[in-house]
Amino acid sequence: MSTSERAAHGVQDPSETLALRILVPSVFTEQRDTEPEEAPAPARRPGRDRYLDLLRALALVRVVIYHNFSWTWLPIVFPSMGVMFALAGSLMARSLNRPALNVIRGRLRRLLPPMWLFGAVVVPLMILQGWGPHYNHHPHWWWAEMAFWVLPLSEPPFGASLHTFGGHLPASWAEQISVPLWYLRAYLWYVLLSPLLLKAMRKLPWVTLLVPLALAFFINSGLVDQSGRLMEAATDFTTFGSCWLLGMAHQEGLLRKIPQYIVPSVAPLILMFGMWWLLRSPVDNPRIGHDLEAIPVAQAIWSFGAVLLLLHLSPSWEQWPKPLERFNGVISLLNSRAVTVYLWHSFALVLTEPLIDPLWSNTFFYDHAQWLLSSQWTPLLLAAPLICTAIILFGWIEDVAAKRRPRLFPYPRRPKGRRRSRE
Amino acid sequence: MSRSRRHRSRQSLARPRRLAAPPLRFFLPLTLLATLLALMVLRGMANNEVFHDERIAVSVDKGTVPTSVLEGGPVVDARGDKNSKPVSYTIPDKTVVLSFDDGPSPQWTPKILKVLKEKNVHADFFVTGSMVTRNPALIRRIVADGHEIGVHTFTHPDLALHSGSRLTWELGETQLALAGVAGIHSALFRPPYSSTTDALDDWSWPVTQQAGSEGYLTAFINKDTDDWKRPGVDSIVKAAMPDLPGQGEMVLLHDAGGNRSQTLAALPVIIDKLRAQGYTFRTTGEAIGSGSANTKVSGYSLWLGTAFLWCTTFSVRLMPWLIGVLAVVGALVMARFALMLVLSTIHVRRVRKKGFSWGAPVTEPVTVVVPAYNEQECITNTLLSLARSDHPIEVIVVDDGSSDDTAAIVEELGLPMVRLIRQRNSGKPAALNTGVAAASHALIVMMDGDTVFEPATVRELVQPFADPRVGAVAGNAKVGNRDTLIGAWQHLEYVMGFNLDRRMYDVLDCMPTIPGAIGAFRRTALQEAGGMSDDTLAEDTDVTMALHRAGWKVVYAEDARAWTEAPVSMKQLWSQRYRWSYGTMQAMWKHRHALLERGPAGHFGRVGLPFVALFMVVTPLLAPAFDIGMVYGVVFVDAYKTLAAWFAVMALQAVCAWWSFHLDREKAWHLITLPAQQVVYRVLMYMVLLQSAITAMTGGRLRWQKLKRTGEVGLEVATGEMTS
Repeated sequence: MSTSERAAHGVQDPSETLALRILVPSVFTEQRDTEPEEAPAPARRPGRDRYLDLLRALALVRVVIYHNFSWTWLPIVFPSMGVMFALAGSLMARSLNRPALNVIRGRLRRLLPPMWLFGAVVVPLMILQGWGPHYNHHPHWWWAEMAFWVLPLSEPPFGASLHTFGGHLPASWAEQISVPLWYLRAYLWYVLLSPLLLKAMRKLPWVTLLVPLALAFFINSGLVDQSGRLMEAATDFTTFGSCWLLGMAHQEGLLRKIPQYIVPSVAPLILMFGMWWLLRSPVDNPRIGHDLEAIPVAQAIWSFGAVLLLLHLSPSWEQWPKPLERFNGVISLLNSRAVTVYLWHSFALVLTEPLIDPLWSNTFFYDHAQWLLSSQWTPLLLAAPLICTAIILFGWIEDVAAKRRPRLFPYPRRPKGRRRSRE
Repeated sequence: MSRSRRHRSRQSLARPRRLAAPPLRFFLPLTLLATLLALMVLRGMANNEVFHDERIAVSVDKGTVPTSVLEGGPVVDARGDKNSKPVSYTIPDKTVVLSFDDGPSPQWTPKILKVLKEKNVHADFFVTGSMVTRNPALIRRIVADGHEIGVHTFTHPDLALHSGSRLTWELGETQLALAGVAGIHSALFRPPYSSTTDALDDWSWPVTQQAGSEGYLTAFINKDTDDWKRPGVDSIVKAAMPDLPGQGEMVLLHDAGGNRSQTLAALPVIIDKLRAQGYTFRTTGEAIGSGSANTKVSGYSLWLGTAFLWCTTFSVRLMPWLIGVLAVVGALVMARFALMLVLSTIHVRRVRKKGFSWGAPVTEPVTVVVPAYNEQECITNTLLSLARSDHPIEVIVVDDGSSDDTAAIVEELGLPMVRLIRQRNSGKPAALNTGVAAASHALIVMMDGDTVFEPATVRELVQPFADPRVGAVAGNAKVGNRDTLIGAWQHLEYVMGFNLDRRMYDVLDCMPTIPGAIGAFRRTALQEAGGMSDDTLAEDTDVTMALHRAGWKVVYAEDARAWTEAPVSMKQLWSQRYRWSYGTMQAMWKHRHALLERGPAGHFGRVGLPFVALFMVVTPLLAPAFDIGMVYGVVFVDAYKTLAAWFAVMALQAVCAWWSFHLDREKAWHLITLPAQQVVYRVLMYMVLLQSAITAMTGGRLRWQKLKRTGEVGLEVATGEMTS
């Protein structure tokens, strides 16, 4: 088109333009194929991209906060689920230069044991409180569906209304605890289909990227009956499919092949479209208002736009920028225990209720600290140490699943004298 | 507006360098915008425009509403301990409470008050906050007459459709208004669109509960007269009569929201008829025996209410003026678009007409002056591009005391037509003057050290000199690094600036600036204008204005293209624009006397200068008000209508942009970034201009900043691969 476009793509330019971001070595996978003498070069493992770590940690924290407060503006500010799937898609695309079956086996090995551990705790608790083969009067179905606790091709079953441990928990406690399980099912399907997705992405990148969005429009158009386990999986798959593919496209360097001004110019328009879709959708509860998480199409569009922007920014930090250095510990912890935190956070939030309730009968708290007891922040503050406990109790399984030495609490220690030297 | 220029000389040593940028450069502009937004919201609240919502909730189940409330009296007390076990109060027998909703209105409320006074009746007025702020005198009169005030929210929405915090806000703001107007607080609340208690449902009941927990008695009604439907006086009177003789009742009437002549006519009849049946008239507080719901406020609340009322009044009075100014600016901008489209078409028709020529082809050799200060990354490309020129040229590189290898690189290149002059660092204008003094030819082209010419550029640029009246020619500067977001924005800006603005200025004969990246001068004209001066930071604007005053024509040569490298970061763009806008202000001030001069100088002074002042200073300063207006409209009023209007203006701009791309034979892909560019540029130019204006007023002087350059533009140009 113009003089500079080639210049901007020119890797030879040693200057500091924005276009130079394309020098990320992992991006040029297909170029590497064409230049065999360069292929054996990357012997040293490239360092973690701290930016992606930051996104993952933010997404996790946002999920926990959202499940505590149910603030409907939170998913708009940071669409966590889209970001998580995009990051996972990016990693998946990176791994897929190895044989696909091995990669899928590796992913399952890392995903399933933490979930089995979760199920090993939750399922007996549910059975203890009245769940079982006769819960829905279809014992065969019950036993069949239990298979989803082994391989979550569909959402693992739970008892929607159970006994309450003697009145300490609401009857819907199992349902609340099982909130995160849909993510595992969606993740599993993306992993299983990734080799196909990647092939399609390489053949018809832009079409592939937009197909899940188009399917989301179709599935949610009202023409399709959305009930049933299969359609549930399909709805989630299409909602976040474009984000997963965006992550893959990012890894493949697709987003860097187009002029740099396109994404930041188009993404705001996409976001506006998503917002419009959200605002024109009917509201379940007018006092709460429009909830992005309840409207799949709006969620799909909004997440797509936001992820597009976040991946475009993608500054590829090998080192933390100065202001973020201090959060290194928390972010690293959250990243190495992401599955654990995600699986157990709703458990922790449910547990805060029986912890706070007795305080109402304490006269001191009743007289002087009602604001504290009724505050929505209190459960969150209590959940934090509970989540840490979950990390200690159950987090090691992530290391075992990844064939690493199990650690109790992988909070990175600061190198000695580090703080002094910074000042 | 677009100019391509690089100032790379440092401030001369004679002038002490001062930090010109005010320390709080974002603070003031943003504060102004925020204040403007706040005032707009206040005014919008008073006019019931902000948060206006006419939706009504459709009733649903009533499983959560206590039966005692559904079947109880019209006043519900859910305060404090009663929140979970609300108590209903009925109006005692032979007692009637007249209540007027939605007011006060300046047209009907005084008449109703007059009737009530004549009949010696005290009633309840459930007022909305927006009406309170607009009619403070009426509220004072209602209170003075002994009536009771109840809160009917600020903006009259159906609260069942809104959040708890909205309810809190509605009640709080209304109390603020009441405190400011009459110094009172009301503990009585009536939800908009409410009626009898048996109409409560699962959506509207939480509203009453929350109002109770915030300390309000909620007053529903027994008898709805439906007077707002204007059913006729008889019908209103009939509806106000009790179902059972002697039964106490709360009657709903309205004193605002439309023509209330029927209400006004029915009121004395209702009072007389009920009196004849032995009824007494009381306020709600009196009727249920709780005492008046209105209490005096003092101290902080009173002070806050007064401040609120004062700000609202101020904003209501201010806003018409502001809207007037904006309307004028908006009309001017539209007129400018139209003018640009028409004049650019005229210009294109004129210069692209078959057989058009400026006169006999200009073939005489030309001197190209390249001022260079620390240009080692780019100077090679620049000189190599000149070497390929198809017009006979002599190149004079004036090295303005570079601290890098610029001079050595020029020498090493050893191009035959290039002469190098070194001088002590003394600024770009001085370097240009040096070059002009050493020039061997009568026609002089000036360019920047980071700009690349096409082979035909010089030839195209000097053709207009065939006309002896032409003293200077502006070329067509194009952005090379248009791939990044900021580059693409500037590309858009340059294409529009050179193809619409400059063509328009050419036709109007008042071109304000010859871009430093590419311009040609007649040596005699330059001498007449006094050469380049360092009086201003925009020496190119300065000299162009001086040429106009000396009576020379300045024209635009569209085919003389120069490729330049635009700033790549927001910070660099900021400092570049800061210099331009401040320099333009300086130049305008320097040539202000042209306004009163005769002849061509007067033409420029009375056409060109106002144009520049209006569209390069005034409009950008006011333009962000449009964006603030959009934020206001989208968030507070009607998002769809506002966005539709915004996109309509954007479409108009897109048409202009597309036309300019078409004129420049550029592909229009970059137009996709137009919406983002418009928003960011408007705010950027506003902040830059405000900062320049402050600098100008405080007499500060700007630091020279050299752009960080990458040498990116021109690699292909130099190797002859350029396309456009």
